[in-house]
Amino acid sequence: MTRETRFQGRGIVNGRISGPALVSRTPFSFLGDVDIRTGTVIGELSDLRGRNIAGTVLIVPATRGSAGAWRFLYQLKQHGTHPLAIITGELPDPSVVQGAILSGIPIVSGLADRIGNQVTDGSTLTVDGDGGVVEVFET
Amino acid sequence: MRLSKRDQAMLDGAEGDANREAMAALVQLGEAFDAEDMVDIGYAHVHAGMAMYLGDVELMEDLAARGAKMAVPASTNIANADMEEWKATRAPESLVRLQRRAEGAHRSMGTGGCFTCTPYWAGHWPTWNTHMASIESGVTVFCNSVLGAKSNRDGFFAVYAGMTGRYPRFGLHLDDNRKPTHEITVEAAPEGTTDFTALGYAIGAEVTNTVPLIRGLPRRPNLDELDALGVGMATSGGVAMFILPGVTPPYSGAEPGLGHGLPSIGIRESDIRAVYDDFCSGTETGFDIVHLGCPHASFEEMKHYAALLDGRTVKSGVELWITTNRTVRTMAREAGLLKPIAASGAKVISDTCPISCHFARTTSPDPALGVEPPALRAIVVDSAKQARYIRDMIHCPTLLTSTEKAVETALSGRFVPRW
Repeated sequence: MTRETRFQGRGIVNGRISGPALVSRTPFSFLGDVDIRTGTVIGELSDLRGRNIAGTVLIVPATRGSAGAWRFLYQLKQHGTHPLAIITGELPDPSVVQGAILSGIPIVSGLADRIGNQVTDGSTLTVDGDGGVVEVFET
Repeated sequence: MRLSKRDQAMLDGAEGDANREAMAALVQLGEAFDAEDMVDIGYAHVHAGMAMYLGDVELMEDLAARGAKMAVPASTNIANADMEEWKATRAPESLVRLQRRAEGAHRSMGTGGCFTCTPYWAGHWPTWNTHMASIESGVTVFCNSVLGAKSNRDGFFAVYAGMTGRYPRFGLHLDDNRKPTHEITVEAAPEGTTDFTALGYAIGAEVTNTVPLIRGLPRRPNLDELDALGVGMATSGGVAMFILPGVTPPYSGAEPGLGHGLPSIGIRESDIRAVYDDFCSGTETGFDIVHLGCPHASFEEMKHYAALLDGRTVKSGVELWITTNRTVRTMAREAGLLKPIAASGAKVISDTCPISCHFARTTSPDPALGVEPPALRAIVVDSAKQARYIRDMIHCPTLLTSTEKAVETALSGRFVPRW
């Protein structure tokens, strides 16, 4: 049987998409933490080091600041190595928001802890950036 | 978010598809950051379209093809190749050809194409209370802190702001956020732009992305030093605005209680020296390039370089790069400054710099361009900003020293430290 759970957060970037969860407990920098060509996390400060963010719903507590983050999100999109959606705890940096809007990657904030505590990597999530709703499907 | 009639009309497509996209994106950004409405901007410093990033020039070409135009005075940020003197940098011609396509897109959008991190030295000089948008954090901090214009640290959306003439009212567009959060007391006497980049770097590391009030400087820094101070802070800490009373509009320093009760931090000469030490990781003779002009040199700096190099010769086996914007290069040529520089063997390069050109290893160009970053032993620099990004993007050692001693280094082939 499938159990469904619905979380109301804050929609930051519009769009609706489903994909497998990838949960991190450390702040994430799109400039430096990820190999653009492969989507593999290389940042030494990230607990996702060695994992791949391509095609995931990436759950991170916060984004670490850089004015250049937008370009790297857009480069991930250009290389097809981007996360399908991003769920954050804190409001992401303006540069991350700009990159996500440009790349069509939905973002919902205010939910990283609640969802991160409930789901395991690979659980299917549906992210609705317009309404700020995340639904969890676990088999 | 409250939209004007024109904002709404743009959102409905009345000004074409490109402006509809731009306004929709700006509305999303504004709603994410609780902006009540949008402001009219008077200037935008926008993305060039970067040939070292896959599909990035095409992003600008796509907007241009859909009829996008700049609604306000606009300048272009630094690019990935010198579009004129590219052979001096040994850039692959394929990269230069792609970079020139971005220039073409900007021409059709009506952008003033100076391709620089210092558009103010090319005549883009926004004034007090002008709302603006900027993709370059050094431009943001200079315009906020020295000119009194109002800018956030933006990314690509500076393009959308330029196209629409609008920007959501949040961050440093609100006067409440243009107040000091920390008080910095400088207990040192920095001299020259390198010292000021190092001072800024030390301050930024302490205050991260807040608004420092700077006290204790023994004299008013000149314009080049003010520029250097800001980029240092923007590099280490993400500072978008500093307040130097008597310089930063509208602060005269006579405001009652200014800085009272704020967290207080002292910066000593040892803190400035520590920045130099941190960026001296190369060996005395193990370098390939000496670089001056980060941020892109002003006309005053070009005069200084020409005087230092007049009648001298750069040591064989060393390259001396001077980076400035193409407008200043033209001014310098007309003033006869390029002759002594060229006679010394130094190269004057525009539109790019070591960290922005094909040296960077953190970029992701189309493999078909055949870009291969050269192996470099180390680069001698006179800017803490360039040093930091050489380390992070080119992944080679640096040697940081003053402008004058960097020139001595290029002439002698042996590193001359600042201290």
